[in-house]
Amino acid sequence: MSIAKKQMNAAPYAEAAAADMVTSRSFWADARGRFLKNRMAVVSVLMLVLLVLFAIFGHTIARWSYEEIDWTILGKVKTEGGPTLANGHFFGVDELGRDLYARVVQGSRTSLLVGFVAGTASVLLGSVIGASAGYFGGRFDQLVMGAYTIWISIPYIIFFVVWKAFFGRSLTQMILVIVLVNWTAGLLIVRGQVMMLKNREFVDAARMLGMSDFTIIFKHLMPNILWVIVIYTSIVIPEIIMMESLVSFLGVGIQEPNTSWGALISEGARTMTFGTLWQLAFPAAFFVVAQVSLYYIGDGLRDALDPKDR
Amino acid sequence: MLNYTLRRLLTVVPTLLVLIVFSFYLMRLAPGGPFTSERPLPPAVMANVLERYGLDEPLHVQLFTYIKNIVLHFDFGPSFSQKDRDVNDVIAQGFPVTLTYGFWSAVFVLACGIPLGIIAALRHNSFWDYSMTGLAIFSQIFPNFVLAPIMVLLFTLSWGLLPGGGWNGGQWEYIIMPAVALGTSYMAGVARLTRGSFLEVMSSPFIRTARAKGLPERTIIIRHALKPALLPTLTYMGPVFVYMITGSVFIDVFFSTGGIGQDFIDGAYSRDYSMLLGLTILYSLLTFTLNLLLDLAYAWIDPKVRSKL
Repeated sequence: MSIAKKQMNAAPYAEAAAADMVTSRSFWADARGRFLKNRMAVVSVLMLVLLVLFAIFGHTIARWSYEEIDWTILGKVKTEGGPTLANGHFFGVDELGRDLYARVVQGSRTSLLVGFVAGTASVLLGSVIGASAGYFGGRFDQLVMGAYTIWISIPYIIFFVVWKAFFGRSLTQMILVIVLVNWTAGLLIVRGQVMMLKNREFVDAARMLGMSDFTIIFKHLMPNILWVIVIYTSIVIPEIIMMESLVSFLGVGIQEPNTSWGALISEGARTMTFGTLWQLAFPAAFFVVAQVSLYYIGDGLRDALDPKDR
Repeated sequence: MLNYTLRRLLTVVPTLLVLIVFSFYLMRLAPGGPFTSERPLPPAVMANVLERYGLDEPLHVQLFTYIKNIVLHFDFGPSFSQKDRDVNDVIAQGFPVTLTYGFWSAVFVLACGIPLGIIAALRHNSFWDYSMTGLAIFSQIFPNFVLAPIMVLLFTLSWGLLPGGGWNGGQWEYIIMPAVALGTSYMAGVARLTRGSFLEVMSSPFIRTARAKGLPERTIIIRHALKPALLPTLTYMGPVFVYMITGSVFIDVFFSTGGIGQDFIDGAYSRDYSMLLGLTILYSLLTFTLNLLLDLAYAWIDPKVRSKL
């Protein structure tokens, strides 16, 4: 045994090698490191966590419930309804004398829940359809693409209207209809990625091992494009929050007395001519903070995950 | 090129047909109808009303009549909620309004977005570049339904510069706010995209060659860099037009412009089938047309695409 070999077998070397094994980093660990170095993204994550905490626990310090009408203020909203600590209306009251703080908490809850649940669900749905279309190709692909072209040219508000007439406008139903409307989210990009990957050797190998199409799509292809899906989800979530807000603004959103950022902004915009500006300012501020944070998080994720940028 | 255009136009027909059938059944499946109200009509009256509008016939017969009337007479049927108008009247009155500020909005998006993107790219990492990024973020977080109230608050309520709504025959004061509110976030998107692709193009070999030939920078930018740099922007405009069309519904409602968006929402509330369907077809036709124009523009700019047509 040569000296060099002996040295290689020596305990310190083995230890170093073991340490190296432990610290050798996966793609995701790498990405996490890159994301954490992005200061704006980290701050945004903190802001978002604060918002979520506010939505979950905010009601505990509210002195009014979100549907209770403060009769002592009703009729004097303009002069006495402003934000103050004295009577427990931290953000003032809305047009009907309801506590705006409690309503903003409730609205944040709705908007965030709808955004995250519906956003993730739609991208997953779209990705599965897109991956299948890209993988199988042929007739199925043509069918999906045809449906896609038709779908995106229908003004989506019509679905909210029909759904409302059919089933109502509870939170679950809002999420369901948003997922249905957005089944095309991520479809094109995932389809393209799968079409690119499906001719690679590892897919051939999997096929030769006799794996089913299902296994190949979900075990071999999907993990390879997970980064695309993650980036896309981070773009879709703020868009969904915006969509929910827009349909609430137009009056086909969530049912009163439940509310959302969009519904609150719309009420505030209607009453701003009377000088009750806080009714627009507070919901809009929360909306904007959420959008800014989500924007930077999406940006950070793109920088961290996109292999082209490295 | 002509061949391609014709082929594209032909695919519009089956697509529209599928769309009509789908929306028709979707609307009819929902419970209630244009004449259900809190105080129900006597059955005899109801039957008469339904017969008057042909709503008592089986669904597929109604659908067939509807399509036949459109094809033969270009007639989108009567409005169920606005008694003395039919859908054609509503479109004739409202569509020019929506189209007018929509057009100016698109002009605003392109005429501001592209130059801003180019300036930011040419002055890379300068003050201009950073303020452009700031603008892009700003517009992302102030979508039209937040921007519009704020603009009204500033320009109408505080400074009294512009009217806060209405149309008044389309005078320019009435067009500015709808157009800007509709377009701002897309304008920033265009600027950001143009900046990115311009940076990429400016560092490519053929620009270096042009520089080596001693061409003046202006010629390089306008004659050589502009066309390839605009390709990604053009592809982006497709979805943007779709979003702008949806956004126009909001703009119509918020600024009371009298455009078709208001009728669309009203029709949705009063379950005005023919109104909803007619406007859906109109919105979709608009989408198809704009996308076709974009594809043609794409072929015009990119010789690689042109040769494949």
